[in-house]
Amino acid sequence: MRRIALAVVALVAALLLIAFPVWSAAWESSRYATTILRDMLVLAIFALSLDLLVGSSGLPSLGHAAFFGGGAYAAAIAMQRLATDDLLVGLVAAVLVAAVLALVIGIFAVRSAGIFFLMLTLAFAQLVFAVAFQWTDVTGGSNGFSGVHRPTFLGMDFNGAEALYELVATIFVLVVLFLWRIRSSTYGRALVGLRENERRMRALGYNTTRLKLSAFILAGATAGIGGALSAYALRFVSSNDVSVGRSIEAFVSVLVGGSGTLLGPAVGAVVVLYIERVLPSTLQELTGRQFAEAILGVVFIVFVLAVRQGIVGLARLAYVRARR
Amino acid sequence: MIDIRDLRREFGGIKALAGVTLSVAEGERRAIIGPNGAGKTTLFNILTGELEPTGGTVRLGGVDVTGARPHQLARRGLARMYQRNELFDPLPARDNVSLALCARRGPYRPFTSPPKSERAEADALLERVGLAERAAVPARELSHGERRQLELALALAQRPTVLLLDEPTAGMSPAETSRIAALIDRLERALTIVIVEHDMDVVFRLAERITVLHEGRVIAEGTPQQVRGDTQVNEVYLGKVVA
Amino acid sequence: MSGDVAIQQALNGISFGALLFILAAGLSLIFGMMDVVNLAHGAFYMLGAYVTLFLVQRTGQFYPALVVAPLVVGLLGLVIEPLLLRRLRGRHLDQVLLTIGVSLVVADLIGLTFGREIRSIPLPSGLDRSVTVAGSDYPVYRLFVIAFGIAMAAVLAVVHRRTQLGALIRAGVDDAQMLDALGVDIDRLFATTFAVGAALAGLAGVIAAPVFGIFPGMDTEALINSLIVVVVGGLGTLSGAVAGAGLVGPAYTFGTVLVPQFALALIFAIMAFVLLLRPTGLLGRVRIAR
Repeated sequence: MRRIALAVVALVAALLLIAFPVWSAAWESSRYATTILRDMLVLAIFALSLDLLVGSSGLPSLGHAAFFGGGAYAAAIAMQRLATDDLLVGLVAAVLVAAVLALVIGIFAVRSAGIFFLMLTLAFAQLVFAVAFQWTDVTGGSNGFSGVHRPTFLGMDFNGAEALYELVATIFVLVVLFLWRIRSSTYGRALVGLRENERRMRALGYNTTRLKLSAFILAGATAGIGGALSAYALRFVSSNDVSVGRSIEAFVSVLVGGSGTLLGPAVGAVVVLYIERVLPSTLQELTGRQFAEAILGVVFIVFVLAVRQGIVGLARLAYVRARR
Repeated sequence: MIDIRDLRREFGGIKALAGVTLSVAEGERRAIIGPNGAGKTTLFNILTGELEPTGGTVRLGGVDVTGARPHQLARRGLARMYQRNELFDPLPARDNVSLALCARRGPYRPFTSPPKSERAEADALLERVGLAERAAVPARELSHGERRQLELALALAQRPTVLLLDEPTAGMSPAETSRIAALIDRLERALTIVIVEHDMDVVFRLAERITVLHEGRVIAEGTPQQVRGDTQVNEVYLGKVVA
Repeated sequence: MSGDVAIQQALNGISFGALLFILAAGLSLIFGMMDVVNLAHGAFYMLGAYVTLFLVQRTGQFYPALVVAPLVVGLLGLVIEPLLLRRLRGRHLDQVLLTIGVSLVVADLIGLTFGREIRSIPLPSGLDRSVTVAGSDYPVYRLFVIAFGIAMAAVLAVVHRRTQLGALIRAGVDDAQMLDALGVDIDRLFATTFAVGAALAGLAGVIAAPVFGIFPGMDTEALINSLIVVVVGGLGTLSGAVAGAGLVGPAYTFGTVLVPQFALALIFAIMAFVLLLRPTGLLGRVRIAR
């Protein structure tokens, strides 16, 4: 009974999320809210994919933007070169490029652990950044790659703001389902084992190197989907999408929302984008200055210091306490 | 079953193992004893593939496995109980065992849920080591003795042909010690067991043959009676313990 | 490339290497003692450069910055360690994450205070000339950077060999109980280490300011550069920082001349190659799990 109730609640929540532009249409700020929410969901997909490494497997990657940005460039460039608007072409290109990048970087990175893993992923992602920044003929270099086509799929046109939002929200729901399925699978459990005790996992007969590499590729490919959606949403890709800053955005989202919780990173993404996109105009009005990044930094420090389990982790703890 | 030839391992010039040759027959229960620093744990670490030897060979069931990785050896039927517990601390005891069962069954797929039978299988193993009541308790909340029992359950869940026990009674009370010794004693006879242990009562109770290591070399080998009577062994080791 | 140009480029490479060394030495020092990779290192470097900008604008003098900027940045480190890092002692990864937050705050506050444009300062008086090297003019300032780097290496080597701090670093002592047993005040030791490491980053910022420019984003660049140096050279040892900087500095400079499009890629290729052969870097003492 409880499982059915839970499934119904989840389904209703998903439908409400996807239909946001419809039921918010009467609001004065509906269009603005839809745009912000769309970008929050893109960041959420990116953060969720990172949490497969940080939360599920205990692999603190600080270079995840390589796959997000790689996917964004791949979708934009493939659709332009092949002169097509087909959504599938963009998504497949994004997933393929992100997965190959993850394979190559992963081969080096998964041999290490902890702080070294963090350093190596950061450094290698910066290589991808350097390529994106310097390979002007293909990526547009420092000018970025503008004029990305909005996609079509099976006769549906996602050119309009509402349609595109609904596409992003639908894919977000699918990604959540995908990750939820992985977490409860034998594979997902093996990742948890990896996080908790790699030595024991090896002794039990798990090929931990291959396990880590596969998680790295899976997370990278999912981040690539997020990147492709970002390219569609903004109609623009730039080296920012591959930068350390973008990696940090995702990492902060994961930790603030709660790593290792299914939806925590999505909650974190909402907080992070609120600070980055909504707060600056408020600050500007109040103080005439902008220092949103500093506020983001302070929030992050507070969560690392005092609320390491994140918002969702904290809520879960409170729920368990209340039931006792 | 295990065939070790001239195994050597150096750490920056210090010889932890200085040419160990050792054979354990299938189904045999062998104890390896010796003072601290004799090379027992180094030997285990090489046997399980966590350490590469500087020289020499290791054969397992007739196959040369020198330098094989830990997971490859585990899949060849080698399981280990660590001296210091290596558990999945936040996970319940049952999930600890499930992870071990899953490794054997393989392959682990992103869209396959664990089979329903796994829970029953895990519970059966927990019952076997005396943890039936504690299945839902996170490993970190178990007592030290219980954690050692869980450690054994993990090794058994691998359905090993060779079981390496690294000081199974380390840090245990006398009651816990006799319980885990009884547990080991009752294991199937087909299982080859190598045990490193400081508690001589446990060693003489469990082992059919004993190998004595000293400064990285084998200084004696034989039945418990033979080893007990060996003067050199008494000098370097037993003399201090049994008196 | 002619012989003369090659000599000039070699000097450029060595001077860049000297700067990288000062930068990486601070990062490596903190790691060697505390097992923390300080990801705010780039922001500390940036702060050093902006303090220099401030002093040059106010006083017209460059040289005081060589003392003042490291002091300011060092003091900041002296505040941050007890205030933030100490609360997470023993949780190394969380400490590293904390430094990400610190770097966001420091870099943004610098932008808030000094504006977000690219700035520059003139070469300091006395070092703004050129001398003839291998038949053509070569800026004296770059020679100064080389000399300064070598001097710093000498000073740090003495500290490393002759002081208690150096002895502790060489022993690789980072266990609180062990330090207690040795009668070391661990709080003071860690705060000092973090402050000195931060001050080195600030000093590198001063040295870099007249030639490499002062701009938002310089923090990330410096952080990545110093990470590459310590990954290549080996983390936690002084000789590792020397080796890494000595390899990466010239390699980057020659890469920029010979294969401009792929200069950065070349550096990463070197890094990948070193990692394949020696996962702990050329002279690293830290073991990484197999």
